[in-house]
Amino acid sequence: MAYLEQCLIDGVLLGGIYVLLAFGLTLSFGVTRVVNFAHGEFIMVGAYAAFWALALLKLDPLVSLPLAMLAATVVGMLLFRLVESRILNAPDENQILLTFGLALILQNVALILWSGDERSTNPPYAFSSLMYGELVVPGARLIGCLVALILVGLVFLWLRYAELGRATRALAENREAAVLMGINVPQMYALAFGLSVALAMAAGAILSFVSAVTPFMGFEILGKIFAIVILGGLGSVLGSVIGALLLGLTETFVAYYIPEGNGWTEAVAFAVLFLVLIVRPSGIAGREITT
Amino acid sequence: MQKVISALTFAVTGLLASAGTQAFAADTVKIGVPIELSGRFVAFGGHCKQGVEMASAAFGGKVIGKKIELLFRDVQSDTQSTVSAVTQLINSENVNYLIGPLASPIAAAAIPPWRQGRPLWMMAGASIDLFEKQVGDDPLYFHTFPYAYHYYETLSAGLKHYLGAEKRVAVIYTDDEYGRTHLPLVEKFFEAAGFNIVAEEIVRANTPDMNPVLTKINLSKPDILLGVVQTTDAIKLAKSVYIRHLNIPYLVSTFAIQLKEWQDAVAEAQDGWIGLSAYLQGEVKWPADPNYPKLFPSSEEWEKIFREKYGHEPGYYVPICYATTAMLLLAIEKAGVDDKEKVAEALRKLDVRTPYGHGKFIATPSGTKQQAFADLLVFQRQNGKSVVVWPLETATGAIKLR
Repeated sequence: MAYLEQCLIDGVLLGGIYVLLAFGLTLSFGVTRVVNFAHGEFIMVGAYAAFWALALLKLDPLVSLPLAMLAATVVGMLLFRLVESRILNAPDENQILLTFGLALILQNVALILWSGDERSTNPPYAFSSLMYGELVVPGARLIGCLVALILVGLVFLWLRYAELGRATRALAENREAAVLMGINVPQMYALAFGLSVALAMAAGAILSFVSAVTPFMGFEILGKIFAIVILGGLGSVLGSVIGALLLGLTETFVAYYIPEGNGWTEAVAFAVLFLVLIVRPSGIAGREITT
Repeated sequence: MQKVISALTFAVTGLLASAGTQAFAADTVKIGVPIELSGRFVAFGGHCKQGVEMASAAFGGKVIGKKIELLFRDVQSDTQSTVSAVTQLINSENVNYLIGPLASPIAAAAIPPWRQGRPLWMMAGASIDLFEKQVGDDPLYFHTFPYAYHYYETLSAGLKHYLGAEKRVAVIYTDDEYGRTHLPLVEKFFEAAGFNIVAEEIVRANTPDMNPVLTKINLSKPDILLGVVQTTDAIKLAKSVYIRHLNIPYLVSTFAIQLKEWQDAVAEAQDGWIGLSAYLQGEVKWPADPNYPKLFPSSEEWEKIFREKYGHEPGYYVPICYATTAMLLLAIEKAGVDDKEKVAEALRKLDVRTPYGHGKFIATPSGTKQQAFADLLVFQRQNGKSVVVWPLETATGAIKLR
């Protein structure tokens, strides 16, 4: 069997899923400097949105995805203006508590509304695969990777060429200078947060047919997401992409080649993080820490 | 003077209220029900609550001339909350009877507070053998759910009957308590049945990717893939096996296969999977008990009553908790007194046909003095239906190759 080739395929596909999970959080932190512990729950809400859109409206998850992202952007912006903006200059503990509390509320509301039963969307491509001899490329994961690629590409283009995107970058690089240049800081913060929620919803829509949907899925993946974001460098969009791919490949390599390796995947995530931070404390593509 | 009158009024009111409470308590039979009404195991607890309430209603709401008082406490699927809830029920409410909790790790947390007062304990869940070792030999502990070793004893017997021994078995198990405690039982019973375990691969619970472990498993060319995983991972496993077109003839897991949520989540990938159940709605037709047909109607009739009352199909834990509660109430009635020792004696003598199966407490070889409902069914999903394949006396079909 083409063992190494299959390992690489699975690693890249897993990395692609990780990009989707972490990208939004990186964008949000990079601009607003708020660590959003509710990011996992926004992913969960996205998964449920895709599930109910299919169950009730017969909308394929990939069709409902842009609609959900649009709605999420608006809701995220409102949420930021009403709630998160109040803790922008607050101590870090306040930020953590507020976003953590929001996460608990979202999880428990989901539990009350939809129970703890596991669910999954099953569009036709969820069960598809491309076969090349003994090599298998699962269709659902491939689509997840393609969606990640498209969204990352669009965000990169937006950050580079769109006026609001450039304003967002300016704000992330130097808040004081951005204010002096007339950039509407509260509006840009809200927009960045809204986009981050939209990206989380997209990730949830993909997970709805790749994995199982439960109210608890958000907290379960949050640790991994933070590891990726820190690994890539807090606030670095490129870094989170590299970090996600690195982690996906490393975990898969360990699962394939180390005995009982699949039981070590969580440990691998944090071991890689530990090693990278020793060599490069700011993360792969983060800014250097100066004293 | 005003203050004296107020103080006297207050004291008299307090005395009257206390007397009223005690009078009320004397007119009721209290049953503590600490179950998972929120949190991760809310599905178990929600189903159980329906079963307990339905049994109380079927008994007419009264036993030995007293009102049945069901004291539900939400243990929140949390061990600390379980300790608090059970302590409160035993020390403050002075219950003589306890039903629940259900999930193994949550129920295990109830053992220390239970020991403080030792009410009669009807354990309608908890499959780990920790209970046998710690409380199994207690005359007030009644277990109405199969232990994990019953799962693999039944599975291996059923598979051996149809497939013969010396088949190659590959096991995938999760690195949590479930997988790690069940793996030795798989090894024990499958090897004793003559199967050859050719691979054992661990996966992280809630793993994001089953593909690496399936690639490794496939190298050992097993005849049987046994997934010792819980529902969330069972969904990922079934879908991943299907997507990869793995050429493994027989796919086996445990309780997840019977759950509608698993079946809906994996859709067409469910076909061919073999699983276990103690109760397969609509598939096994238990007759009514000849002596107590109202309390223990046939399983068909009981399901109909449930549907009329609740407007949906009964969940997995409903019949378990119904049968458990109904047997407890019947034992209290037969004992004629609200005394846990006498009720325990009456429970041991019960021999009834319930919608959940044969309700009779017997000792297990491994240490539980009072065990009922340990009989399990092996079934296979065939064309969207559960076909019972073992034991033969209840079989509605045979195992088919995928």
